Amino acid sequence: MAGKTGSMPATYSPSPATRKKKRISIANGADWVRPDNRSFYQCRPAYLRTSAVSTAAGSAYAEFGNTKVIVSVFGPRESKKAMMYSDTGRLNCNVSYTTFSTSARGQGSDNKELSSMLHKALEGAIVLESFPKTTVDVFALVLESGGSDLPVIISCASLALADAGILLYDLVASVSVSCLGKNLVIDPVSEEESYQDGSLMITCMPSRNEVTQLTVTGEWSTPKIHEAMELCLGACSKLGEVMRSCLKDVVTDSKE
Amino acid sequence: MVGLSVGEKNFIKHGIAQDLRNDGRKRLTYRPIYVETGVIPQANGSARVKLGATDVIASVKAELGRPSVSHPDQGKVSIYVECSPTAEPSFEGRGGEELSAELSTALELCLLGGKSGAGAGIDPSSLSIKEGKVCWDLYVDCLVISSDGNLLDALGAAIKAALSNTGIPRVQVREAASSDEQADVDVSDEEFLQFDTNGVPVIVTLTKAGRHYIVDATSEEESLMSSAVSISVNRQGIICGLTKRGGAGLDPSVILDMISVAKHVSEQLINKLDSEIEAAERANEEEP
Repeated sequence: MAGKTGSMPATYSPSPATRKKKRISIANGADWVRPDNRSFYQCRPAYLRTSAVSTAAGSAYAEFGNTKVIVSVFGPRESKKAMMYSDTGRLNCNVSYTTFSTSARGQGSDNKELSSMLHKALEGAIVLESFPKTTVDVFALVLESGGSDLPVIISCASLALADAGILLYDLVASVSVSCLGKNLVIDPVSEEESYQDGSLMITCMPSRNEVTQLTVTGEWSTPKIHEAMELCLGACSKLGEVMRSCLKDVVTDSKE
Repeated sequence: MVGLSVGEKNFIKHGIAQDLRNDGRKRLTYRPIYVETGVIPQANGSARVKLGATDVIASVKAELGRPSVSHPDQGKVSIYVECSPTAEPSFEGRGGEELSAELSTALELCLLGGKSGAGAGIDPSSLSIKEGKVCWDLYVDCLVISSDGNLLDALGAAIKAALSNTGIPRVQVREAASSDEQADVDVSDEEFLQFDTNGVPVIVTLTKAGRHYIVDATSEEESLMSSAVSISVNRQGIICGLTKRGGAGLDPSVILDMISVAKHVSEQLINKLDSEIEAAERANEEEP
């Protein structure tokens, strides 16, 4: 299971390297360096691992730089008695932060906003018809918040769902970009998020080329949205591959 | 949610495909908008917006507060939506709570801009009174009175109208003796300042039903939506926010197409809304 622990964590970044160089020289304040010395279009190294919690039907642990998330999936199990009959399955999502996850203590407890975002991002990817009358619970816990929390939670949750053997149309990968002045910065850390002018987050199913959720805040011109979406989709498909190989590794390891 | 038979659903779907909807509208036509301002005397500003049978009220209250540590030169704006069970029995208890939370989040996303304040409808630095000491906290509270679809657009319009109706008392800062004490302020009860609401974006929700998308869906039409994208656009045609609802995924090219359609529709909507707000304000002045 822990096949990749010793080796270098797998990295991903959107493909065309030539384009990357050209863009940076155009961008203003090209001498500006990101807090963790990444280039603007480089994602943080992703470390993913499934079956992190033994009691859950499926679980996953994700570590993107300082952002550390653990997601457990329970079910499908019988819906609560109070719920009405439904011929499709239900998805119940819950995101919570530990009290020590942020620099200011006690920001913890349930986060309804993120929970509903997680729900919206995942519901399109799950074949709900495959488990009528029952509920799947997805519980996410942010151990350390280091920026781009929601995208990491979503990607990790879809991996946990796959680990639990729940029928999915495709894995869901999620990436966000921040807009800082004229620059677009992929996979922002908390520091960048705190002074960003705008942010765009895409969750998509890479092999179906379908966007399940998209949120934009701040000021965006149309060409900029195009650029940011392309950037995110490229990174999503890379991340999708990393997630897929993580699932495959588990199977090959257990066979050996 | 409205319960519709398969036949009724097909009827609506085919109507949309032929660009003729149940109430005679085209796919990209809004229902008539009715705006009334100054409906709540206790608030600093308020407005009621009717969009067909959808009826919402927004009120703006300003309170003196302390700016946050991370942005000492900015005031705070927060938006809350309440879905009363009087509008629909399903809003009772948790049902309304869920929808309220969803609408509040979407409105904050669409109207408040990025962390640094870029793209915000109300410039948060205009709410600052004394840096790091006092600022205005703006509380925008919305109430859904009656719901017939397209709540988000109606709420967005109501907030825009309420903000242009808002008067913030002029504040004079008395020089405090020591710098770390709470600043001494004089709140005038005669002089009021108005917001510049030119930059407040409108929200256009495109609901996808079948292969086409429509604006301003009624609740009947919403019941056959596969997904909906809400886009907030300001007068300059710049996108200030975007959220998606509904489970079905969308092709990236469809989303880009929706954005360009929304930009086109928003132009007409902004002009319409502005003239309605102006008319409502004028009616207010004549009354007393």
